[in-house]
Amino acid sequence: MIRSTLRFLMPKPNLKGRLRSAYSWFDERTGATELLHKGLYEAVPRRGGWAYTLGSATLALILLQLFSGIFLLLDYVPSVEEAWPSLHFLQTQDAFGAWVRGLHLWGAYTLILIIGLHGLRTFLSASYKRPRELNWVTGAILFLLVLGLAITGAMLPWDDAAYWTTTVVTNILHYFPVIGDGLRTLWRGGSFVGPITLTRTFAIHIWVLPFLLFSFIGVHLYLLRRHGEFGAWINYNTSSDDPEREIAERIRAVEPPYPTKRIEKRYAAPSETVNFFPDQLAKDTAVSVLLIAVIFVMGRLAGAPLDEAANPATLTYVPAPEWFYLPLDQFLVLTPQFPLIAVGIFVIVVAGGLAFTLLPFLDRSHERRPTRRPEVLVPALFMIFTVIFLAMLGVNRLYNL
Amino acid sequence: VTAQIPQTAVGGSLLSNGLLVAIVVLLHIQIAAYLIGSTTLAAISEAVSMVRRHGDERHDRLAHGLVQSSAYVFGFGSAVAIFFVMLALLVYWGKFFVALQQITFPTFFLEAVAFAVEIALLYTLYANWQRLARYRRARLGLLILLNLTYWWQMFFIDVVASFMLTPNGGDVDILSQFLNPTQLPLTVHRTIGNVAWAGAVIAFAGAVRYLGVTRRLERAVRGDQPAPALAPHPPMAPSRMQSERPLPAFPAAPRTVGAMAATETATEPREAYEARYWDWVAQWGAVWAIGLTIFQPWVGYSYAKEIQLHAYPAWSLMMFGDLSNVFLLQIGLLGIIFTLGSVYFWRRMKASRASNYRRQGIIAVLLVVVTVWAVQPAWFAPTYADTLAAGLAKPWWEGGLLNPFGNFIPYKVGALTAMFLLGLWSLTSYMRAVSRDQVLPARTGRRSQWLLLGLGVSVSAMMMVMGVIREHARQPYLINGELTISNQQITNNQASPKGGSIR
Repeated sequence: MIRSTLRFLMPKPNLKGRLRSAYSWFDERTGATELLHKGLYEAVPRRGGWAYTLGSATLALILLQLFSGIFLLLDYVPSVEEAWPSLHFLQTQDAFGAWVRGLHLWGAYTLILIIGLHGLRTFLSASYKRPRELNWVTGAILFLLVLGLAITGAMLPWDDAAYWTTTVVTNILHYFPVIGDGLRTLWRGGSFVGPITLTRTFAIHIWVLPFLLFSFIGVHLYLLRRHGEFGAWINYNTSSDDPEREIAERIRAVEPPYPTKRIEKRYAAPSETVNFFPDQLAKDTAVSVLLIAVIFVMGRLAGAPLDEAANPATLTYVPAPEWFYLPLDQFLVLTPQFPLIAVGIFVIVVAGGLAFTLLPFLDRSHERRPTRRPEVLVPALFMIFTVIFLAMLGVNRLYNL
Repeated sequence: VTAQIPQTAVGGSLLSNGLLVAIVVLLHIQIAAYLIGSTTLAAISEAVSMVRRHGDERHDRLAHGLVQSSAYVFGFGSAVAIFFVMLALLVYWGKFFVALQQITFPTFFLEAVAFAVEIALLYTLYANWQRLARYRRARLGLLILLNLTYWWQMFFIDVVASFMLTPNGGDVDILSQFLNPTQLPLTVHRTIGNVAWAGAVIAFAGAVRYLGVTRRLERAVRGDQPAPALAPHPPMAPSRMQSERPLPAFPAAPRTVGAMAATETATEPREAYEARYWDWVAQWGAVWAIGLTIFQPWVGYSYAKEIQLHAYPAWSLMMFGDLSNVFLLQIGLLGIIFTLGSVYFWRRMKASRASNYRRQGIIAVLLVVVTVWAVQPAWFAPTYADTLAAGLAKPWWEGGLLNPFGNFIPYKVGALTAMFLLGLWSLTSYMRAVSRDQVLPARTGRRSQWLLLGLGVSVSAMMMVMGVIREHARQPYLINGELTISNQQITNNQASPKGGSIR
């Protein structure tokens, strides 16, 4: 009786229709459908799809860092008196506080690993060659920005580890010829590490680097969409007796964003493509979800360490860098003092960073297969070995201190 | 330490515990290093052949040859190892050996277990190589397992060897012994060195066989008999060389080695085929020897740094003391290895008229300059102590004996850095030409093979010199800072910084 009365008083709303008209209103003004269609239905190479998931996973992890960072900001106070107590409160008193710190730390570790693997995949498949040079350059800059975020983040808790990290990192700058002392003073806000150092490091970590990071992510994604995913050389092999005809047929049949312009015909279009949605997106989602799950578990189980509050007068604390800076730290240990330390830090490290960033302009050959590119593969293997070996030596040194 | 063990060192002469022990130990190291390195290269060849769509007969044959040679060498090498332990350690330095056994017993135990596994795996592969051809994945799996066992064994013996130089506080705990400061750099140093040494042996063997085959072919030519593969090819335009494969690699082969004979006779005379094969083997070995030696200055420097930090007297003896000139010999040999490799690559590229072959010549000249730069004595006196005593530890322009380029670190590190960069350039340049099919097989002259013979001898000499330096740097200790050679006295009765001592 009541039900029939209510039905009489309040006629059943056409919910589907109302939502549809609301979406039409929204779509008319924003072009959302077209945007989604463009974003989701573009062709990507079919072979090697799991290897291409690392780029999306990197983006997912960066977003995770953004959100976990926002939660940390709710409690963190960027001053030398309050930084450590605020984090100590977060760690011990706040519900889920320790977990969120763990998420941020393990998210950073995983992000560095995944972005490194993404770069390695791009290098091996020679995806950085014309016309994708700027994809590589922006990606390399993103990698360096992530490393910058990691090191500045390690300085913020203002415990012993953070204090000595800040001291060592800001001190490295003074080896720079001529302007080194000025740079160190600029960052520290004086001759010594102190309150201004923390404030400036906080600003760099929270504003400067994220601004640059998201700007370059935008450029990187735009360039990716413009040229399409290159994938790997295996997508461009020919199987018929008449390769030229096969390639011409492939170019004629391919969907946007292919064929890629300003490239040899052979590499203009992959032999087989699938739509980004749902094929590639499903793989991307699976990998990203798996990684985030691992981070949640590690954040819960291992958490993030918080040493004693910073004590500049301590004589017993042994500073140790984060694992991703162990190679650089060990390199400094091995580099002899004056006059070679400036060469070690600035000539070798800066030259290495520049060579990494400007790789597409150094490797100008048309070859894509790794075995046909020994001129870049052999030095790269040497570099990779050196970095791993230095990290191992660093662990060995810290163990035997 | 039990009373049955001689309490003093057995008196010896140059021929007994001097030269004899040195020969036995060096033989042991060279054989062990070859076994480890050659098995690794056999696994790589087997894997390469499997990955290639139509197989690769050259790699098949090389992998089989390496397994066979390993089996032959293993028997003799085991006898040397046992002889070494029985004679050198138990007879001459019994107390030391027992003390070392007590401290590092788990490592010796695991070493023995690895030995038993190796015998089973190597014999299985040696005796059943062709039967296993139908199960190539299983065969590769066994090879990899054999490799892992070898590396495992090397890791544990490195624990003992590094413990003797940096005992890390003596008999403290097993983890500190295993992870003592020089263990990691020594293991990496040997891991790379073993494969490089195996590459040098392969290059040596390839060169010897190539010389033999080409001599027979030359005789055939003198007797007016044709020798097709060695007949000079017409000169080719660079563009043609870059775009084509003028002399194709070995014909796509059946996957079994046993079928090779049929393939040879069907395509070309036996001797010409052999010349191409051994020429390829020689350059393949040289690439591994040079390629991995490039890492050694860097790894060796890191090793020396750990010795400096944790066993300063030993480091000082190597760099400033009586061993400093022996160390210069070591660096000189390193320069010779790079130079020989570069000259070999140059001649090989030149014989095929590969692009940029002249660059290899320039690199070789630069390597000679850098080697001379590296080996000049820092002080023109027998030792640094002599220089100090004479008041001449000042730059030459002030009337002293210091090297014009300064102290040890700047100039020698600079020279070593230049050496490995030039080595890297040389290898990369050669491999670039190979990857573009610009280097053709069996074009290399007979004289070039002598460079590889020199390379093999140089690598062998370097391993010997390195052994001499390492063993003498500890003197007067057998276990650095803990146990002396003379009378095998334990000197460190005090608790070490980590709370333990050798007792």
